Amino acid sequence: MKKTVYIRFTIILLIIGFMLSVQYNTVQDPKTRDTRDIWAIRQELSVETETHSELLSEVYMLDQTILKYENMVNESAEFALKDTVEQLKEDIGLDEYTGPGLTIKVEPSLESIALGQPVEGISPDLLIRLINEINRFKAKDIEVDGKRIIYSSPIRDVNGKTTVNNISVRNAPFTIKIGTSTFEDAQKMYNQLEASTIGDDFYIDNLKLKIGEPEHKITISAFDQTINNRFLKEVPEGES
Amino acid sequence: MWLPLLGLILGISLGLLTEIQIPEIYESYLSIAVLAALDTLFGGIRAHLQHVYDDKVFVSGFFFNIGLAAALAFLGVHLGIDLYLAAIFAFGVRLFQNIAVIRRIMLTKWSERKNQ
Repeated sequence: MKKTVYIRFTIILLIIGFMLSVQYNTVQDPKTRDTRDIWAIRQELSVETETHSELLSEVYMLDQTILKYENMVNESAEFALKDTVEQLKEDIGLDEYTGPGLTIKVEPSLESIALGQPVEGISPDLLIRLINEINRFKAKDIEVDGKRIIYSSPIRDVNGKTTVNNISVRNAPFTIKIGTSTFEDAQKMYNQLEASTIGDDFYIDNLKLKIGEPEHKITISAFDQTINNRFLKEVPEGES
Repeated sequence: MWLPLLGLILGISLGLLTEIQIPEIYESYLSIAVLAALDTLFGGIRAHLQHVYDDKVFVSGFFFNIGLAAALAFLGVHLGIDLYLAAIFAFGVRLFQNIAVIRRIMLTKWSERKNQ
């Protein structure tokens, strides 16, 4: 009888001991320490502030649209809608863009010309990198060798040729046009591209980036293919 | 006498060596379960010393108390009331009472032995 009691106590104490040590392990687990210094925190703060101001400007724009709708609802709702459609078309690149921007020329590097090396086309990876870089600097519209980049533009290798929108890109030299919201943005973009290390990446591939001066007026052609829309459907007339 | 202590040491070393950790959100459940287990343990020791120990009561009490305490804590989290405080209070009070009774019994035994 006494032995079974002791065995019971032993088992219960074993469980308690296990639970205690698990609890101890959990409590003792060192929390990840915040080791950022003031500078790193300031940088993060500045990024957040930028996001904040971007969001505010977006809110302002949407407010403007609402205001426009409210103003026009009595006069002509159709006009406001058309205006929005035009604006959206311009935003996604279905309309020609005319406005401030700059032009980048991709040329073979001087070394490759001097050494007589064959000029090879730009690789899709490099082009994607450049476009990401440009987008990071807040480009509004981009055109690569006459092909307008939209949200769904594929950049890939087809049979050894780099294609944009399924049309192949010429070997260097070719031009890349970048449209920006304002002329100041174009100037900023020019400076940022000049300071960026993207030129070095091009140099590895025997290419040279010639960044043109910001211009007040450049023209970027519209996206000339049809956009496949798989998810949105038109509402039949009479329904809303 | 030494067997239960061995069990405790074995349990602690098992837990420490396996380095098992539980997510932070379940920490309160485990702590309350530990408290419930300790309460049952001291209750069992007291009952044993008072010669009223019942195997079924002890084992069922152990698991039932742990389950109840965890359930109470769970309910508390979902109702937004700190219900686990009720369990801590109940178990805490009982723990002290049990330990007091154990101490008295031990003291009586000791003084009896001294007198003999």
